[in-house]
Amino acid sequence: MLVFIIRRLNLFFFTMLLLTLLTFSLSFLFPGDPLVNLSGQINATPQQLEQLKLAYKSDQGIMQQYFAYLSHLAEGDLGLSMASQTQITSEIINLLPATIELSLIALMLAMFVGIPLGFIAAVNHRKTADNIILSVAMLGYSVPVFWLGLVAILVFSIQLGWFPSAGQLSLVYEIEHVTGIQFIDILLSDSVYKWQAFRDASAHIVLPACVVATAPATIFIRLARSSMLAVLETHYIKAARAKGLTFRQIIFRHAVRNSLLQIIRHIGLQFANLVTIAMITEVIFSWPGIGRWLIESIYQRDYTGIQSGLLVLSTFIFIVHIVTDFIYAALNPLAREHNHGTS
Amino acid sequence: MARHKIYQEEEFPSPFIQLWLIFRQSPVVMIGFGSFLFLTVLAVFSPLLTPYSPVESHLNSLLLPPAWDDAGDISYLLGTDNLGRDMLSRLMHGTSLTFGLSFIVVIISLVIGVIIGSLSALTKGIKSSFLNHFLDVILSIPSLLLAIVIVAILGPGLDNTLWAIVMVLIPQFVHITRNAVKEELTKDYVLASRLDGAGSLRILSYSVFPNIIEKIVSQATLAQSAAILDIAALGFLGLGAPIPLPEWGAMLSNGIDLFYIAPWTVYLPGLAILFAVVATNLVGEGMRHAIRQRKES
Repeated sequence: MLVFIIRRLNLFFFTMLLLTLLTFSLSFLFPGDPLVNLSGQINATPQQLEQLKLAYKSDQGIMQQYFAYLSHLAEGDLGLSMASQTQITSEIINLLPATIELSLIALMLAMFVGIPLGFIAAVNHRKTADNIILSVAMLGYSVPVFWLGLVAILVFSIQLGWFPSAGQLSLVYEIEHVTGIQFIDILLSDSVYKWQAFRDASAHIVLPACVVATAPATIFIRLARSSMLAVLETHYIKAARAKGLTFRQIIFRHAVRNSLLQIIRHIGLQFANLVTIAMITEVIFSWPGIGRWLIESIYQRDYTGIQSGLLVLSTFIFIVHIVTDFIYAALNPLAREHNHGTS
Repeated sequence: MARHKIYQEEEFPSPFIQLWLIFRQSPVVMIGFGSFLFLTVLAVFSPLLTPYSPVESHLNSLLLPPAWDDAGDISYLLGTDNLGRDMLSRLMHGTSLTFGLSFIVVIISLVIGVIIGSLSALTKGIKSSFLNHFLDVILSIPSLLLAIVIVAILGPGLDNTLWAIVMVLIPQFVHITRNAVKEELTKDYVLASRLDGAGSLRILSYSVFPNIIEKIVSQATLAQSAAILDIAALGFLGLGAPIPLPEWGAMLSNGIDLFYIAPWTVYLPGLAILFAVVATNLVGEGMRHAIRQRKES
């Protein structure tokens, strides 16, 4: 297990190194002065520019500049946003929790809907249920998310009026910003209207979460189906059947657990996909998250913003990636041992 | 690998014909394949087939609903948009932009990715490990985010979007080619031709490529459905095709303001994207299924 942890941490370190190199080189690739792109100070006076030059070591070699950039990152200084001239770090701390909330709830939703459906499809392999589930999965996988979001708004918010169409919480409720994750903030607050606010927040998240969850759910259907089919072919299932266990016992006691393992392995990989979808969904539903902020910073040519947004979002995805790797290794002893050689 | 069949293989059709024979068995897949061909024809010949120019305004028929609606007009089969442009003509022209360009994008990135991937499969040690990690980093950045960043470097516009998507798709092809080539290189028939004295490049082009081409093509269908969605998404966000071009995603975002009074300006381009992606995915699905079946038989 120790070797496994060291290998993963090594991988994480290496990927972070490459990622920071990538974002660092972006400041040279973007139009304009690299120093201004890194710091975001577009209206700096000559004296301030001199100070910046010292801080980012831009008169020295490229390696020193990179290490200066890394030390700035380590201090949590991502520079100023070119558009609003505020600290990007504080903006991101404000916005990231909303994205985490949306993407995690969507991930849960996708898993709780997708995996059981995939199992049902696998158990009824090549029967009507299987075919129906597979065709629905194909449709859901192909639907463009921005279109789905718009149609969802038209049907459920405008025509039926069931759910609100934009935002995270109605402006009526005043909730103090503590963690940034709306549900936790509401539960922490001592407002009289706590439960009304909670219901309102839930109503706000239903549509965007469903839209984000659609495509990942269909991928989970296919993953669950194929891993269940693979498990049902194995010898221990045959042995269990020979022992005389009922169908229900075989599926719930043996097959489901083993096939879940294979699915957990893929969650990390799917997460990058899910975050992409969440970015577009945030634009459509005016969700105050980092995806919308990032796309707006492109409209405003806010290069510092783009650079830091890329860094933060990718780091978030990596962390989820590594965490699922650890969960998988903790659940599956086989995965820990095969990691010695080069994979 | 069923070895005892080795002397009967002369009776079998060639691998490619076998693939086709299995591929055409499923009617759903054939419908998808037909739609795919239909879209390809439309993408090539749309300027000849459309009833109107995609940018021509018919000022006395603004926002006409589709012809099956009571207020519709049969000369504008799918209605018109807010500037009186014929939706049908725009959608048909959009085929060559969204679908046709995604095809070109995939082919460019396929060629580059396969070359890099097969060369990297031949390297070993620290170079290969570095490339592996680098690919991991690129593959775990969301593809659309990466495309957006590249667009931010190059500036908005249709050409730059296409280059961005090419660059985003290359790592996927590198990854799949690399793994497939490595897998083939361990097999006995490659060893046999190596013992015959063939060099690495000759082994790649004569022994390995014919055996992995289907895997790459099936990855290409996946990449194409992703490319269609990405081109449309960038168009929708206003970073891709400029507004007058009838790109499906840009058309969709153009219709948002009129969503409530003229819903067809939004749902028709969306349906077109959905149709193109479903057709591509069906072809890919049929292909993967056929490859699997052929392996089992």
